[in-house]
Amino acid sequence: MSRPCVSLESVLCAVHGRALLEIDHLSVAEGERVAIVGHNGAGKSTLLRLLSGFLQPVHGSVEVLGRTLDRPLPPGELRALRVEVGQVMQGIHLVGRLSALENVLIGSLGWITGWRSWTRCFPANEVANAEGALRAVGLLARADTRADRLSGGERQKIAIARLLMQRSRLILADEPTAALDPSAASDVCRLLVNAAANASLITVVHNPSLLPLLADRVIGLKMGRIAFDLPPAMVGEQKLVELYRPDMGSNRTYWGASAIPGSEAGVEAFS
Amino acid sequence: MVRVSRFADRFGGRLGFLGLALAYAILVIACLGSLADEGELTLGRNPLHNLIKTVGEFARPSFLDVWFGKPNLEYHSDDGTLLRIENRQEVELGYLAGLARATWTTVRIATLGSLLGAVLALPLAVLTARNLAASRPLFWLAKAILDVARSIHTLVFGLVLVGIVGLGPTAGILAIALHSMGSYGKLFAEAIESLDMAAIDAVRSVGAGPVQVFFNAVWPAVLPQFVSSHLYLWEFNIRDSTILGIIGAGGLGLLISEATSLFQWGRLSTVLLVIIVLVAGFDALSRRIRKALL
Repeated sequence: MSRPCVSLESVLCAVHGRALLEIDHLSVAEGERVAIVGHNGAGKSTLLRLLSGFLQPVHGSVEVLGRTLDRPLPPGELRALRVEVGQVMQGIHLVGRLSALENVLIGSLGWITGWRSWTRCFPANEVANAEGALRAVGLLARADTRADRLSGGERQKIAIARLLMQRSRLILADEPTAALDPSAASDVCRLLVNAAANASLITVVHNPSLLPLLADRVIGLKMGRIAFDLPPAMVGEQKLVELYRPDMGSNRTYWGASAIPGSEAGVEAFS
Repeated sequence: MVRVSRFADRFGGRLGFLGLALAYAILVIACLGSLADEGELTLGRNPLHNLIKTVGEFARPSFLDVWFGKPNLEYHSDDGTLLRIENRQEVELGYLAGLARATWTTVRIATLGSLLGAVLALPLAVLTARNLAASRPLFWLAKAILDVARSIHTLVFGLVLVGIVGLGPTAGILAIALHSMGSYGKLFAEAIESLDMAAIDAVRSVGAGPVQVFFNAVWPAVLPQFVSSHLYLWEFNIRDSTILGIIGAGGLGLLISEATSLFQWGRLSTVLLVIIVLVAGFDALSRRIRKALL
């Protein structure tokens, strides 16, 4: 556990004057596997968007893999960051018209540039790597099948094979098992953890039974704040019930639009 | 009031449809009634006889004469003097050669016109695709150009262009291009609108630059649809360009107008057979290509 690969200090994220995320301190060490749980709107996806440079905090400092993300990065640096930060997103994000193998090869676009990346004539060694990644997720037989002809579980596995190809140092997964049946879900989680063997892994997950599989640290988010930060063994049912229960008493209010100057400027739409 | 509005809630949709159906029925009756009133709903004198005669001549297309025509058909004047001897086989062979040239001209007009229309439509489609959100004035300008182009018939464009660039295939090519530009623009814009944004995000998320995103996410999604619409409109334009010759824009239409003017139904039958074979053949070909692409 050397220097942290993610560190947040007194971060506040807000959209239209509404606070989405407020974190005093959070750091994730290299190689750590973190799961994030919380109710809808607790700020889980906001946190991931913050870490992938899609969103900037209103104030506070965000550091990911040695890059400061307090303000929008110039396009070149943002691309460099995205090469190092692999993402598996909520809706399965593949190019439907390309084959499974080509979708995996997209993971190499960070360093394959020029005409080869335009015509998708990837060098032989990258193709071999992509086939290796497909073998690792057990889908080498479907290499030439178009992505839009694959099942939901298979597509999610292709997305993981792309992560393997990308060799990123930090992997962000936003509900990678949503809409998958239980056996496919645990399959995908196992592959995801394997893919993150040499990287840090931050997963947003709803299914508590997957927590021990995915993480050695569970962070509970409630109303944009960290409610607990515990190893999975300590996260019992009681904790989760408390986390997901609507909190009538505290009723933390949202700020008025005028209370946070520049809050709208702090939000960058999909660049 | 409350009761009325509840009634409207429950039956409003069905009543609205009933009203529309009624309006449609009234329109049809008005069209029929007024035409009948003006005495325009007639079939002319002895239509049955004319029909049988025409069908009979159509049933004997002129190209059969290439094999079965008399090699020495004699033309006599009323008093019996021999005017000239014609080799029907040679005459019809010559006609077929002219037909082949005209067909080739029609294909050339349709092909070049379609390509020009597609090229002209592409920037307009990019401007009118709603998901690309071009600036409002440009959007409306492009949309207006496409709407105007689509609503003016190829023949009208052809008539105007014959006056500008003169008789011949150039007018035909431009007429086809200008009219089909409207259809191309609409189809291309729809292809761009149906673009899968998730695919674009996927490629972007691995750190790809804009050019890489274009070639790996936009191009593969849009190209098959573009090619498919192109084949579809190309085929449509082959049908359309067969008639352009009537107004002097070159191609098969010239032979059609010649045959109809001289009441040579046998020759018209030959020309129509060629058009049917041409269109059906192209349709089969383009359908196969489109199926392979999608």
